[in-house]
Amino acid sequence: MRTAFRAASALLVSALALTACGSGGSDDDASGGGTSAASCAPSSGPVTISYTTWIPGIENVVKVWNDKNPNIQVKVQTGPNGNGGTYQNFFNQLKANNTPDLGHIEYDALPSFRVQDGLFDVASCDIVAKAKDQFIPWTWNQVSFGDDKSAWGVPQDSGPMALFYRADLFEKNNIAIPKTWDEYAAAAEKVKAAGGYITNFSQSDINQFAGFTWQAGGRWFANDGQQWTVNLTDDKTKKVADYWQNLISKKLVSTVPPWTTEWDNAYNSSSAWTWVSAVWGANSIMSGAPKTAGKWRVAPMPQWSAGEDIAGNWGGSATAVFKNSKHPYEAAQFALWLNTSEEALALLNKEAQLYPATTAGTKYSYLANPVEFYGDQKIYEVFADASGKVTPDFTWGPTMTSTYANASDGFKAAVSGTGTLNDALTATQKSTIETLKSQAIPVKE
Amino acid sequence: MTQTMTTVDVPEGTETPHKGGRAVRYGRAVPFFVVPFGLLFVLFYLVPIGYAIVQSLYTVERTGTFGPAREVFGGLVQYQRVFEDGPFWASIGRVLLFGVVQVPVMLGLALVLALLLDSGLVKGRRFFRLAFFVPYAIPGVIAAIMWGFLYSPNLSPLKPITSAVDFLSADFVLWAIANVVTWVYVGYNMLIIYSALLAVPAEVYEAARIDGAGPIRIAWSIKIPLVMPAIVLTTVFSIIGTLQLLAEPQVFRSFSSAVSSTYTPNLTVYATSSVPNFNLAAAFSVVLALATFILSFAFLKFTQRKGVQ
Repeated sequence: MRTAFRAASALLVSALALTACGSGGSDDDASGGGTSAASCAPSSGPVTISYTTWIPGIENVVKVWNDKNPNIQVKVQTGPNGNGGTYQNFFNQLKANNTPDLGHIEYDALPSFRVQDGLFDVASCDIVAKAKDQFIPWTWNQVSFGDDKSAWGVPQDSGPMALFYRADLFEKNNIAIPKTWDEYAAAAEKVKAAGGYITNFSQSDINQFAGFTWQAGGRWFANDGQQWTVNLTDDKTKKVADYWQNLISKKLVSTVPPWTTEWDNAYNSSSAWTWVSAVWGANSIMSGAPKTAGKWRVAPMPQWSAGEDIAGNWGGSATAVFKNSKHPYEAAQFALWLNTSEEALALLNKEAQLYPATTAGTKYSYLANPVEFYGDQKIYEVFADASGKVTPDFTWGPTMTSTYANASDGFKAAVSGTGTLNDALTATQKSTIETLKSQAIPVKE
Repeated sequence: MTQTMTTVDVPEGTETPHKGGRAVRYGRAVPFFVVPFGLLFVLFYLVPIGYAIVQSLYTVERTGTFGPAREVFGGLVQYQRVFEDGPFWASIGRVLLFGVVQVPVMLGLALVLALLLDSGLVKGRRFFRLAFFVPYAIPGVIAAIMWGFLYSPNLSPLKPITSAVDFLSADFVLWAIANVVTWVYVGYNMLIIYSALLAVPAEVYEAARIDGAGPIRIAWSIKIPLVMPAIVLTTVFSIIGTLQLLAEPQVFRSFSSAVSSTYTPNLTVYATSSVPNFNLAAAFSVVLALATFILSFAFLKFTQRKGVQ
């Protein structure tokens, strides 16, 4: 008993000591945050920039830069993908004040870092401000959050969506390639009759659903500067949710968890016949379903009304400069080279199949080649076309990790027969507002 | 008086330098042994706990949608959120149900295996001792992935069974996880109980045999009561382990649609800290630690009182 008491009092003492340290530290932070805002001047003398990313083969790209720029050496550190651990590391590093200069952040996570006051406004660097017009407008919008004067990263890649389909199976069963979502649902019945599933519904990766919503015109978040509006239950989102709920209820789509061996197996064994996915999905099919080589083709994404021509986007990321960077100008300089120069973009595409965010990038020669796995179709032409048809004003919320987790919980339940996708979205709407409130982020209820 | 004084004095006189010498030698040795442990204990145990408690008492304030966050003292605001959080308490209930079933099953198995090894009925005792222990040497995550594939309805080598019964469905997945945990930890707990059995002096058994007790009677009336402290110890460890379940459900999230991001208390903590809402995550952790402490302590008290009776 006495030892327990001693331990408790020791705890109390250390807690008090820490309170003292803690409050001192946060005062420093507040004043530091105020003064360091938006000054982007070149440093004098040689500098070393640290850069954390999960792009495979990034070392080879960085080496090209380092060989040419002895005074701005980039030290690259690789980690797991964002939601797989790197974001958590960034958040911890922000808390501990030791972030790298540059970080790889997907568009949907940028507002979360912005709201934690972790990002440097690269638009304050003249070189970045001048480069704005090189980027596809909607990708720039993803980093500027609709504000012309700021940019919270340099757009890196994009994920315009299209329809991957098994040309051989559609032809053999005499099913037309769907051009609208209605045709897609009708085709699903025929595919089921032929013993397959038209696709696999991504139950736990909400980004695919977000891409569908983006295309349909649903807008989940809005920020008027005073407060956030959360709108996961608008009519357009509901329409998309009802559409997929119908396919799920009729068992016309399979629902194995995405990014698993089971998922690969569904495609490799010809059980799933199409996938409405982003440009990088080309590579997922190639690696996951090697037995189906030569049988896939790519067509534009199905439309909500015949005659429309709108694409969704799934994924894409930016190279962001963290607020505490001592060399924001050089960091931005490297980020620009990495994401706009033909040599870097060509290498990024070769190493990691990244699809550029610049207008010129989508027209580079390495994207004009026929792809053997897709029956020598020039598939990137379809995506270049789609990239120009993504609507520009989709805004991500400041706590997407939690929104995704909650929506994914609900979607998983819906897929296993408890509730519907719309129920899940209604619950997520509520929990997202709760999460914003618990972070003291102003939100409209 | 004087006699006693002298008789007392003499040994004192001879012993005092002796005692003093010993004390000095101990005096030097104590910090030598205690400091490394104490330092690590403070650095990696007390300081993080203290830090978590401090964090849990703060809350953030900001102005505007992207205004920088300021951490301000919030008292028990985070704890209020914890107590209002339905999914968190549902997850506590879930792991309690898990513990009530899984811990007795696992420890019962461990005890039976330990008694079998100790009974001399088994040949190849060393082999079995190692074989039971091997699953514990497999990292929890790897074990969970392996079992995930075994349960998978489409990829399992036991497909005839798994396609008939979906072990990963909402009804079964908790027990599918219980099975993985049991598989991993039975050998470990068995070893603790078995080593307690080895420490029982042989004369006790001899006496029992002379009194006419058979092997089952010896096991029931002598071995089990004598290894009770070991069983209590493993139970406390298991209660702690159950409340802190993380790796297995986290891995199962990619296999099963029934494991949510708040399935166990620790998953909730993990999900909250990746928002990132460190203050609320800290409050969750403190409440979870308290719950663990209360449960373990209550169990110890309960068994001690039973021991007295």
